[in-house]
Order: sequence, then C-alpha cells, then structure tokens
Amino acid sequence: MVELEQLRYVRLVATDLGRAADFAERVLGLGPIDRTRELATFRSDFRDYTLAFVSGDRAVQSVGLEVRYPRDLEAILEGLRGLGLRVEKGSGEDCASRKVKDMAWFMDFSGNCIELVVRPLNSGWRYFPRRDAGVRGLADVILRSVDIERDLLIWTGILGARVSDWAGEAAYLRFDDAHHRIVLLPAARPGILAVEYAVEDVNLLMRNWYTLRDLQVAVVHGPGRRPASEQLFLTFAGPCDVLFSFVAEGISVDERHRARQFPAGPSGLCNWGSECKISEFNDAARVQNGRSITARTGVS
Amino acid sequence: MITLQSISYVRLGTADLDGATKFATEYLGLEISNRSKDSIYLKSDRREHTLCYFRGSPTDQTVAFEVSELSELELAASELDRLGHRVRLGSATEAELRRVRSFIGFQDPTGNHIELVWRPAYSGQRYHGERDAGITGFSHIGLCTTDAARDEIFWTGVCNARVSDRIGDAALLRVDQVHHTIALFPTDRAGIQHINHQVATGDDVMRSFNFLSERQVPMVFGPGRHPTSSARFLYFQGPDGMIFEYSSGVREIADELLYRERQFPFDPKGFCEWGAKPQIREFRDWARPHVLD
Repeated sequence: MVELEQLRYVRLVATDLGRAADFAERVLGLGPIDRTRELATFRSDFRDYTLAFVSGDRAVQSVGLEVRYPRDLEAILEGLRGLGLRVEKGSGEDCASRKVKDMAWFMDFSGNCIELVVRPLNSGWRYFPRRDAGVRGLADVILRSVDIERDLLIWTGILGARVSDWAGEAAYLRFDDAHHRIVLLPAARPGILAVEYAVEDVNLLMRNWYTLRDLQVAVVHGPGRRPASEQLFLTFAGPCDVLFSFVAEGISVDERHRARQFPAGPSGLCNWGSECKISEFNDAARVQNGRSITARTGVS
Repeated sequence: MITLQSISYVRLGTADLDGATKFATEYLGLEISNRSKDSIYLKSDRREHTLCYFRGSPTDQTVAFEVSELSELELAASELDRLGHRVRLGSATEAELRRVRSFIGFQDPTGNHIELVWRPAYSGQRYHGERDAGITGFSHIGLCTTDAARDEIFWTGVCNARVSDRIGDAALLRVDQVHHTIALFPTDRAGIQHINHQVATGDDVMRSFNFLSERQVPMVFGPGRHPTSSARFLYFQGPDGMIFEYSSGVREIADELLYRERQFPFDPKGFCEWGAKPQIREFRDWARPHVLD
C-alpha cells in the first residue's frame, strides 16, 4: 500500500484575490509568498506555502497531498481508475505553478478535487509573519462528502489513510502521527468546510480569539475542545465560502489506537459546550437522532 | 506578627437568601453542608463550609483566616489592640455559628471585617458540587482598600503576608506558597471585592464560561489568563453585585528567598495576557500606579 507523506496545501478559488490575501495576512497571520494576477500563496511553516488563492476560469478548489515517488503516484492512479474515478496527470505548467516535481489529480465520489504531488518545495527560510498569531502550520482540513462510504474507500483503500475516530458519520482520517489530517464530513454538497492551522498553545488560541473579535471576524464555533482529538479549536468565517480554524494541543495516535464512536454534531465536537453556528454540524446532530449509529458501525 | 495559616471562609449578608442559595448551588456549583432559617452554609472542598450567606445587609461582609494556636488569638488581640484596632472576642454561640472553636473579630485600616479563627471545622465527607464545575476549593479574595500603601503595610507588617506582585498599586499578597490569598484593590469602599474558587483545569473555566453565559449570568471579565499568577480565569457577577471568580493553574512560590515581586501595568494587559478587558470598576478605574505607567 502506498502511503501519503503529508498534507501540503489547500487551493481556494477566490473571486476577490485582494480581499482573500488581506484575510490570510491580517487575520490568519500567514506570510505572503507569491502573488500574480491569478495566484496568491501564503506560508505558515517550513513548507513554501500551505494556502493558495487562485482565480480565473480554470481555478478549482483542491487539497494537496504529498506522495514520495512518481511510482507511488502511478500506483495510486491505477487504484483510483479501478474504482472508476477519472484521474489526470498535471502538465509541466501545473507543476510549476504549484512548485512541485510531478503531480496528478482526481475527483472523489463527492466531487472534491484532490491533488497528489511529488517533491513539493520546502522553504529554506523560516516562516516569519507580520502578525504574531503563533501559527505552527497547516494542521488539517475538514472536507464535505455527499457519499461518505464510497469516499472512505478512496482514503482507506487507495491512499492508505486510517480512521482514527468517528463523530456521528464524520470520519477523522490519519496518515502520519497526528490524530487526523483530513475529516470527512457528511453534507449535502462537496467542498472544503474548514482549513485548520495549528497555533502554539492555549494562550495563543485564546489571544487570537480576542484579536478576531477586535478584527470583527465572525466566530462560528468555539473556543472549544474536541472530545475525539482533544484539540482546542476556534473556527471562524473566511473568504471563498470556507471556514478557518486555529487549533492547539491534541493527542497523537499510533497503530494500537482503536477508532471510537462519538456523537454527531456539536455534542460530539466540543466538550466545553461552545455555541455552534456551523449548519453541517447542527444538521448532523439532527440526522443522528433519526437513525441508529450502531447500524452504520456494524455493531448491531 | 500575626501568622495567617490560610483563608478560612467568607460570610455574606443578603436580603434574598433563596436567590443566593440558588446561585451558589446551581450556578457556582457549591454544595449545601448545612442550613438554618437565617443562613446557608456552603462547601467547596474538604472544609465544613467556606461560604456562608445569612439574612442581613449585603454590606455586612466578613472574611476569616485560620491561625494555628489558641495562644495566637490572644497575641493577635493584644497586638491589634496596641495598634488601635478594636478587637472583639467571639462568644461561644458566635463560634458555633462559624463552626470554629474560638475566634476574634476586628477591622483592618480600611474597615473590612476580618476574623481570625482557631480550629475551623473540617468535614468527614468530601465536597460534591451541585453541578460539575470542577471546583477544587475556595482559594482567595479580593479585598477593598481605601489606601493601598497603608493597607499593604498592615497586611505585610502586622500580619505575615508577602507581596507577590503588584498591578499598579494593587498588591497581590501570599500567606503560603500560593501566589496570592489576598488581593488589595484600591477603591472608595470597604468590603470584599471578589471571591475566588479554584477549578481543576482550564477546560473547567471554559465549560463554566459557556454554562453561565447560556444562563445569562453577567460575565464581567474573561475568560483570560493573568500574567501575574499565570492562572486562567473567569469573573462573573453573583447576588448583591458580588464578583465571583473561577481560576485554574495559579502559580506557587516555593523559594521565598529568591522570589522578587514584579510591577505590572494597571491596564487590561496587566490583568489579562489574552486580551480580555475587565468590566469590573476596581480593575478599571482605581489603583493608579505611583511608579510605573
């Protein structure tokens, strides 16, 4: 089985590149790297960039994951074709704009675009942002899925990810020593729900909460603590119809970890009792009340 | 020198005993250890009680400290008498009401009612709160002062308190290893400025923030983190305008010889390193610093 190396980046489609870039710098505290008429990228850690805003007719929202060798790429593509998914190799131009050696992409069963890249660029210089938000790096991405059972086949069957825990039907997926890098969340439409950046500790998380208030950024969930990953989180509205979070602390898991079932919706996602304004989470709680979770997990 | 061993209890008068009881149990999370027609005794840790509400004027507020020997009560009484404080020896009935063997009462220079108690009652049963607030115990009070310099001398000179830090002129005083047990806040009145209970974790602070906010309890400061004691905190308003605080992770000062108190600014940054801004008048309008800005 091929293994995913790293979560590398998210590419978001921006209608207003200037506004999105301002958010990345002023609110998220990321450092600007490249800027063209159709692209703006931002650094959060040792990676050259982890957040890209793209505009133009061909722009597609995507999540970028690293695989080690071109042959891994081929093996994954073979597996994806086996599931009947359409896959495509990136051109030299595509690779150049992403600063990678080789790449391919596919659409999952929901219609989310996933990019697989080989040898993405790391930065030789350390990340030094203008605002001291205490960002440590891109931590994870919450991805909507309209067909979670089939999409899980891709992640666990082809990409080698493992389910760390369940919150209702939502699956926390890991492929390194972090509790999760991807969360697949059942929803009525595809797309990235939230991009999550790790900050140093609880003090930075809470300091950012007050900073967001001063910046009049709408907080939609948190500050809180997730029962499954024990991460502290603070989720807020961002550009491109995507939410952003700061997260801190949290457990790491190893091979012995057994996936646990937590409740769907806010009660399974925060044990501080914080207010949740994210409709996907609130809907999930309502769905669960109408159907048994044991049936889904095969316990019955 | 009067050696205060620890803070013992707070007694608060109230015109609405039922309302105060509801707040203390359902919201604050204390446990009723005893009640009579005119008073309610509330438990927060291994002690028999640490808070008592009684029918009376809300301005009738008393804080008690424990001394270790009966003889210290007598020594303290004569020392206070020598300094011109009127000292009152508690009667047996009064001692029974306070669940102590013996006590004396006096007023500090500001006029705060202070009691020194000997052998306060402990409970055989552990504390189990009305709600899971995570309380580990009654820990400290904010005390009003009308002259910060004068009262600092009283608590550190006549008693054994030491200055741990200052926020403007407000001195945070310790009597044991805990960063502060008494915090003197300059204001224009006498009385207890706030009552602190420690909770087990920072998570408990945040859970209570959401729990109490949902129930419309007025939040007056926080959640935040004190740069002085490093404790995570939440201040909210209880009956009769009294400010209650939960905090977790208060610093301990183990080395008396090496520790030096620090001066913090009297502004929101001196009170909170997360960026919370206090809505408490003693944290906003008073304690103008005399040395630093």
